Amino acid sequence: MASAAKQVQQLARQFFQLSFEQGALSPERVAGVLAYVEKHRPARVVAVLKAYQRLVAAEIARNRAIVEHAGALGEPILASITAAMTKKYGRPIAGVAQRNDALLAGLRVRVGDDIYESSVASQLAALAAAV
Amino acid sequence: MSTVLEQIEQQIAKLSTKAVKKNTGTIRSVADGVAKIDGLSDVMYNEMVQFPGGATGIALNLEEDEVGCVVLGDVSQLKEGDEVQTTGRLLSVPVGKALLGRAVDALGHPIDGKGPIAATEFYPVEKIAPGIIVRKSVSQPLFTGIMAIDSMIPIGRGQRELIIGDRGTGKTTIAIDTIINQGKINKVGLASGDKNFRPVYSIYVAVGQKNSNVVRTIAALEAAGALEYTIIVAATAADNPANQYLAPYSGAAMGEWFMENGMDALIVYDDLSKHAVAYRQISLILKRPSGREAYPGDVFYLHSRLLERSARLEGKGSLTALPIIETLAGDVSAYIPTNVISITDGQIFLETDLFNQGIRPAVSVGLSVSRVGSAAQIKATKQVGGKLKGELAQFRELAAFAQFGSDLDAKTKAQLERGSRIVELFKQPAFNPLPIELQVAVLFAMQKSFFDPVDVKKVVEAAASLKQFFTTRKDALLTEIRTKAALDKELEAKLQAACDEWKASYSS
Repeated sequence: MASAAKQVQQLARQFFQLSFEQGALSPERVAGVLAYVEKHRPARVVAVLKAYQRLVAAEIARNRAIVEHAGALGEPILASITAAMTKKYGRPIAGVAQRNDALLAGLRVRVGDDIYESSVASQLAALAAAV
Repeated sequence: MSTVLEQIEQQIAKLSTKAVKKNTGTIRSVADGVAKIDGLSDVMYNEMVQFPGGATGIALNLEEDEVGCVVLGDVSQLKEGDEVQTTGRLLSVPVGKALLGRAVDALGHPIDGKGPIAATEFYPVEKIAPGIIVRKSVSQPLFTGIMAIDSMIPIGRGQRELIIGDRGTGKTTIAIDTIINQGKINKVGLASGDKNFRPVYSIYVAVGQKNSNVVRTIAALEAAGALEYTIIVAATAADNPANQYLAPYSGAAMGEWFMENGMDALIVYDDLSKHAVAYRQISLILKRPSGREAYPGDVFYLHSRLLERSARLEGKGSLTALPIIETLAGDVSAYIPTNVISITDGQIFLETDLFNQGIRPAVSVGLSVSRVGSAAQIKATKQVGGKLKGELAQFRELAAFAQFGSDLDAKTKAQLERGSRIVELFKQPAFNPLPIELQVAVLFAMQKSFFDPVDVKKVVEAAASLKQFFTTRKDALLTEIRTKAALDKELEAKLQAACDEWKASYSS
């Protein structure tokens, strides 16, 4: 059972490594991998694809800064955040703005597993936890 | 001056608007108290992670694609997709004197209903043991109050002495007796006002035990007045394996506080067999490779890193450990018993046969040993009980031979008679530890053949009479033995006179 799960992970990782072109995830390569899987159908194909999807999603999230904001967010601010994140992580990061009124005010930036938060909602939550 | 104020204001403004960085992950699955988490790319080994709803966890498995965390707390609220955060902190527990007299769980939360604990300091649960430079050799005695142990298998402050035996042989009773004895010694010592007196604080760690047993232990300690010097760390059978795995380390952290702050502490791990089983359960759920008896490969390190934390430190205090191991059918060569035997500085082996014969504590003199030896004994005990172990070993050998032959010479008969009297003399009821000065008096009487005329079946009764005689009528003499800790000619003469006096009153 454990070895079957390992084989799934191993195969998904191989597909994931094949999805890169010049160090970046390539949509063409991903399409190629999917076509190959469709044609050859490996054992436990659903599990393999789910594992592959997780790896691809994590990679996309690593290269994307999702900037959640409650108030208005101008293009220059988004550009400056994107530039700052690109500098910090040493790889090109694309900025994506997302409105989130639950923050009340301020920003929350998510890059992969990391979250940078400077919002009123988080400060209120910290205050509530401390009381 | 205004520039300085502006600088401070700027710093405050900078801090208050500073974004907080968090490293997060999402739960992929939760089963048997273990959560598999995607993400948490910055998590450290053994780091505390925060689950939604206030539950905490420890990252134990750092894999390529996922992190395996044991959940400490209610797992029923957790579900797939929940966000988990790193905390950047190692698991810590409250430490200090505020915990004395209290019962806490593996995380140091009170479970005795006596309200919150006002602890100001926290120690990490996992800590590297003191190195060789800071250690000092064990030379100060730690009295258990059990005559058979204090006279033949002495324990010193900073030593690790294993208590091993089958179920129902009195392992826990020996540990509890030792804690009770520390309570009694502390009371006498602190009341005496002696500035050199060093009290011993106790920590009793219950792993995988029945709740009723823990309650009974607490009641016994309370009844004996020892609870005020004791911390109870309980991870009972009803607790999840993660808590059972952590409890001994939490107890060790609490003990280390006393050691680091120049005090002496005693810690009882009851028991490490169940601790190993809890760790095996966690390891198997985390899908770690299993080895002998399905235990993971690092089960030796599990106990060695725990027991190495007990030490006597140069210029500081000490932490004495009494780990307990339960054997099956007296098999000391099983995996976990051999591991712990090799880690500790000696063992007290308890035999089922002796227990069933009514010899309690059922200490097997032949198999029990203290590697610290007489270095951890006061001179008075050495003077009166130095040859006891040899005499008892000889008695056991002769007794085995005597079963096959009826004709015995007078010398052998005398040795057998004396041996059976020593065995009777060492019988001691539970939760009734004897002060060392009284032990010296009883052993002196044995050495000077005061029990020889007494019928073997009446030795226990005679010994009780002697103890009562000394405690009620010779208190000053007992105090003198305690303070001098050695028998000079004058003291020996006084003891001889007191024993003569007792003999006259007992015979009449």
